[in-house]
Amino acid sequence: MNNVEAGSAEAGGAPAVRVVIVDDHAIFRSGLKADLDARVTVVGEAGTVEQAMAVIAQTSPEVVLLDVHLPGGLGGGGREVIAGSAALLGSTRFLALSVSDAAEDVVSVIRAGARGYVTKSISGAEITDAVLRVAGGDAVFSPRLAGFVLDAFGTAPANIADDELDRLSARELEVMRLIARGYSYKEVAKELFISIKTVETHVSAVLRKLQLSSRHELTKWAAERRLL
Amino acid sequence: MTTAITRPPLVRSSDRVIAGVCAGLAAHLGWPVRMVRIGMVVAALAGGAGLAFYAWLWIMVPTADENAKRNARRPASPIAPAVSAPGLPLPPDCGSGPVPAAAAFPAAGPLPGAPLHGMAPGTGPGAAGGLTGGTNGAEAATAPWFRVRGMPYGKEVLLGAGLLLAGGILIARMVGVDVPLGTLIPVAAILGGAAIAWIQLDETRRAGLLDKTKADQAGGWARLAAGLALVVAGVLVMVSGSGSWEQTWLALLASVAVLGGVALVLLPWGLKFWRDLEAERAGRVRATERAEIAAHLHDSVLQTLALIQRRSGNENDVLRLARAQERELRGWLYRDPGKEAGQLSDRIRAAAAEVEDSLGNAVDVVSVGDTAMTARHEALVQASREAMVNASRHGGGTVSVYLEVADGGAEVYVKDRGPGFDPASVPEDRMGVRESIVGRMNRHGGTAVISSSPDGTEVRLKLPSDAADNGEGKS
Repeated sequence: MNNVEAGSAEAGGAPAVRVVIVDDHAIFRSGLKADLDARVTVVGEAGTVEQAMAVIAQTSPEVVLLDVHLPGGLGGGGREVIAGSAALLGSTRFLALSVSDAAEDVVSVIRAGARGYVTKSISGAEITDAVLRVAGGDAVFSPRLAGFVLDAFGTAPANIADDELDRLSARELEVMRLIARGYSYKEVAKELFISIKTVETHVSAVLRKLQLSSRHELTKWAAERRLL
Repeated sequence: MTTAITRPPLVRSSDRVIAGVCAGLAAHLGWPVRMVRIGMVVAALAGGAGLAFYAWLWIMVPTADENAKRNARRPASPIAPAVSAPGLPLPPDCGSGPVPAAAAFPAAGPLPGAPLHGMAPGTGPGAAGGLTGGTNGAEAATAPWFRVRGMPYGKEVLLGAGLLLAGGILIARMVGVDVPLGTLIPVAAILGGAAIAWIQLDETRRAGLLDKTKADQAGGWARLAAGLALVVAGVLVMVSGSGSWEQTWLALLASVAVLGGVALVLLPWGLKFWRDLEAERAGRVRATERAEIAAHLHDSVLQTLALIQRRSGNENDVLRLARAQERELRGWLYRDPGKEAGQLSDRIRAAAAEVEDSLGNAVDVVSVGDTAMTARHEALVQASREAMVNASRHGGGTVSVYLEVADGGAEVYVKDRGPGFDPASVPEDRMGVRESIVGRMNRHGGTAVISSSPDGTEVRLKLPSDAADNGEGKS
């Protein structure tokens, strides 16, 4: 717990973001802890579904870095942790972290309420950025998640007649495409001549649609991939 | 050695009149089917011995399908493929045979999955094929008139023969011959009922082997019930000894009560037995799956881990090995069995893997949509590959590849985060960009745009679908 003090002291004016790391591999947890920079403090760790729910309830962190696959509980893994911490969903945000890039894993944890998804091969600086972005209320999309979204919602823009939740607008599609092509938010903003804040708004809107939409094709897509 | 004939296993043939017992027996013994059948009928007339024998074989001998399935499910042993290989002569003394065979096939040991799969074609169809082939040949050569199976209404003819027999008995009675109808009718009822029920059993077994379509489930139950009713009625009449209804009803009541009591007592045992059987079956399925996974991990992950330990000094090699192994394992774990192989996205992924292996930088592929390969897509894959090579070589970091296939055509974006270059300043002699990417795409009716900035370079390849520019693309 020493580094907790050091972390918050170093951060100076802006308090460090309080994070809980949930992953069943201790080696990965310690490696990730070492990789995160001083803008983030790790206030707790957990290796199973039960531990995770207990630690999250106890520390109420701002962000939980959550592995999709976890032992314990009813076998639901990360999804179960999010469901079990539903009372905290207003203040605690979840960022899914996984080695798996299977659509069913990623999309199911997003639909359970995670604010973003990154792969474990991501660098320490990138993961810190992602944590800060999620703590700020934004969504974090990896290129692969953007690919899944495009796959699920289709690449044709929305008509006026469509339900707002059911399709991506032309602008959201452009943003998703650029993210899928490997652009960072900054690069997306530059490419589309919009502000980073606007990019974040679009991405959050897409995340909301992904979580809430019961659109026919999304359901079909999910069923084909055994998500439902 | 000369007298040891390799006999086909005793199984009930699928080429059958009633249950395939005679055909199977004939194939097993190497006798003509007709002789066996006539012999069986003669034996049946001799106080019913033939009937008893037939029924006993019917119960005890498995069908050819069942036998094949049972052999296929036998626990894998490393020597199994060697022993059951069709080319090998089967030694009469099995004790000495398998030992050298096992020594000759040591490689089969670490692959528990392989013998299991190799086993099924080795014994199943081979045995069944030989069997039916043998019976068909015997029938065609010796007994054209006996080929009930080949006739369009075999079962009806059999039924007719039965009715004729019944008619003959009735006529004989009228003429004055004393026929013991009191015992004949119940015996016939029992035999008929048992036959109906068992034929039904055979058919459900076969349906279970083929697929679980429950198309005529209701019909099956009706036949089973009819068979049971016949047998029960026959037994009752036989035991009560008279046709008197009151006695029969009383006996029926008593027997139902006894059966109910016995069922009540035996039910827990039956259920337990059934559950144990199910559990064992599930366990076996799990064991098979486990063996397959173990075989795969052994071939891939363990080998790679060993390599990594030996090359731990070279960071580049370790990284490359880890990436390649990760890709392979991912492909195995998350492959979509419903998806056809060889689609455009597979080819792009394969190209990315190749570039990753040869140059060491990670190449991440994200794909949306997919399409079947054509000659024009081949050009797109080649151009993409060239772009990936350039991005990996000059960008010096992770390369992002995005493939999108929609109605309008296919697009590929290859992005790196290198220092960038000015596409206009590429010298004429540099074939990579000008010829392999831009030229190739133009020749096939597509476009290639290269945009480069100090933050990185992106190659955008677009190939409109055939319908959009028919003919033009081929020029």
